[in-house]
Amino acid sequence: MNYDMEDTQNSAPGILPSNQAAKLGAPRKGNDAQSTTKRLQTELMQLMTSPAPGVSAFPNSDGGLLSWTATIEGPEDTPYSGLTFKLSFAFPSNYPYAAPTVLFKTPIYHPNVDFSGRICLDILKDKWTAAYNIQTVLLSLQSLLGEPNNASPLNGEAAELWDKNAEEFKKKVLGRHRVVDDE
Amino acid sequence: MLNGKQGPLVGEKKSSRAITEEYAKADPVYVAKTAALPQKFSHYRPILGDGNCGWRAAGFSYFETLLRLQNRAQLEEELARMTSLNNLLTTVGGFEEWLFEDMVAETTNLLRDLADLVPSSPRAAEELLRQRFNNREISDSIVYHLRLLASSWLKGNRTSYQDFIPDGLGVDGYTKDWIEPVNQEIDHLGMTLLIDILLKPIGFAVEIVYLDRSEGSQANSHIFRQEDSNGAPINPGCPMIHLLYRPSHYDILYKEPAAIQVMDEVARNPHVNRAFTRQISVHETPAMMGGFPQQLDMATLLCIPGFGLSSPPQHQPFHTPQYSQQPIDHTYNSSPISASISPISPGGSSTTSSSALPGSFPAQPPSQPSLASPTLATPHSSFPAPTTQIPIHTNFPPHTRPALASNPSLSSHLSHPSELSSPSSATSSFRPSKYEWEAAADWQEPVVFQTSTFKNSHYNTAHYNNPNFQPEEWTPESEEPPAPRKRSS
Repeated sequence: MNYDMEDTQNSAPGILPSNQAAKLGAPRKGNDAQSTTKRLQTELMQLMTSPAPGVSAFPNSDGGLLSWTATIEGPEDTPYSGLTFKLSFAFPSNYPYAAPTVLFKTPIYHPNVDFSGRICLDILKDKWTAAYNIQTVLLSLQSLLGEPNNASPLNGEAAELWDKNAEEFKKKVLGRHRVVDDE
Repeated sequence: MLNGKQGPLVGEKKSSRAITEEYAKADPVYVAKTAALPQKFSHYRPILGDGNCGWRAAGFSYFETLLRLQNRAQLEEELARMTSLNNLLTTVGGFEEWLFEDMVAETTNLLRDLADLVPSSPRAAEELLRQRFNNREISDSIVYHLRLLASSWLKGNRTSYQDFIPDGLGVDGYTKDWIEPVNQEIDHLGMTLLIDILLKPIGFAVEIVYLDRSEGSQANSHIFRQEDSNGAPINPGCPMIHLLYRPSHYDILYKEPAAIQVMDEVARNPHVNRAFTRQISVHETPAMMGGFPQQLDMATLLCIPGFGLSSPPQHQPFHTPQYSQQPIDHTYNSSPISASISPISPGGSSTTSSSALPGSFPAQPPSQPSLASPTLATPHSSFPAPTTQIPIHTNFPPHTRPALASNPSLSSHLSHPSELSSPSSATSSFRPSKYEWEAAADWQEPVVFQTSTFKNSHYNTAHYNNPNFQPEEWTPESEEPPAPRKRSS
């Protein structure tokens, strides 16, 4: 974790943009990830100053801001209610002009997630836009838990059970869920 | 295929002949249309087909056209306008400022830097523009800013556009599916939106040339511009951006003889200047015809070495020198064709008339209003001394030549025969009459030009004079199956 940045976050959230703006005013060179880093710093600040209920995310200590760990709480009135899921975010160097790679680290039984934790969600693929961000991705995933897209399942059995046997589905969800250790 | 996924995001300006050559073996419709293209557009600039080509082409053209106007105040106005459009992005577009401020910053930084550079060094400004647009990080930021502008503009003008939204997506579905995804290529509505928010408000017009397989010998084109209620352009003389559309791909086209960074390109492809030189000849020739100075000009013309039908071989008939400093292609001088070229033209006369002293004749190009940029002198200074250059623009149609040669009226105007220095001029000098000159000035047919580009073409019959010339032969075994055209994604 970058402690300089953390201090800035905690002491004076309003200062960061102007600092960064001054930096951007300097002559530019082709250092690739500068705007990506700045964008992710801004996202972190947003997540801390205006958190959304049920989702959170924070950079990993060793990731140089390009890898994060996030959590989603299972929505009420879904088979995932009361469960917490960890996810990993890996950001490409041209983020936000390419989608992050998002995986479920917590094993999850869901029609659109395979057994490796890979997710089938259009906004993480060809419908990714640079106006999305970590928080909107997490909120989309949270709603995916309650509204799976059964037209293109990665887990066919789950898609079938979701439609036909809610009780069995819930049993599979609970059976698969494990608490994973923090990294 | 040139519109592939390799190469820079925004390429260098090239002769549009390259497009013709690219399609030489394609469908006959493409062959005809691409063959006609260079007559209208001298150059094109390839844009990388990465899904953003249409956005990038329009965005680059926006900055480039602002630069071409060389107006610092307008660049600063644009800086203010782009900054104020942040309001549209937040209130109408629904985008949070922290999400787009970095993208807008790249647009406004570029405008500011260009405004700073334009007064002192327009060339550096052009160079900066190309650099920024070829820096992936900056270029993508600007492109995404344009997407957000188009998306917000649509959201703020739903009723004007909603009938054009495909597949019943609705405004919000359309922007999510077509405008905002990062590598989604621009569709027709997207281009319309972008033009309406970015270019029309500052009076820029856009011509899109559609190169497709529709019927016709020329590519169709459509012009987007500010129009009054009757559909007439509000400002017919406004700056015009030209884009070439091929299915799924956009490049930029240029009409003008590229003034700055492509002088060498111009020299190698002199045909691009044809329109301009013809314009000069039409305007200047009649004025020249009246009065005494004409006689002096005739004498001056005949002072020029090689100015006659039996011209010496150093004469440059295969150049059409807009600028007399074009590099001399010595390998071509000895072609027998050169003897059959009538070495005079209205364009030549105008050049001569603009030169005060015969001795200084080809040293300066005629004053070129459209090329009056301060950079003009630089690329020329290193060219070879213009000792043998004659501006030749037009081959007279063969039937006029005997008339010219036998016209006795002109010989009486040559009041200073002793000044004729050309060895050929005494016996076979050229004898144009003013009527012939006017006819040439009004000559409207496409003129066959012997240019240095053409000389490399397989259409050039002069190759038959080359003992080493090997015509291309068709061998069925060696023919590759026609490769499917790559599509940008």
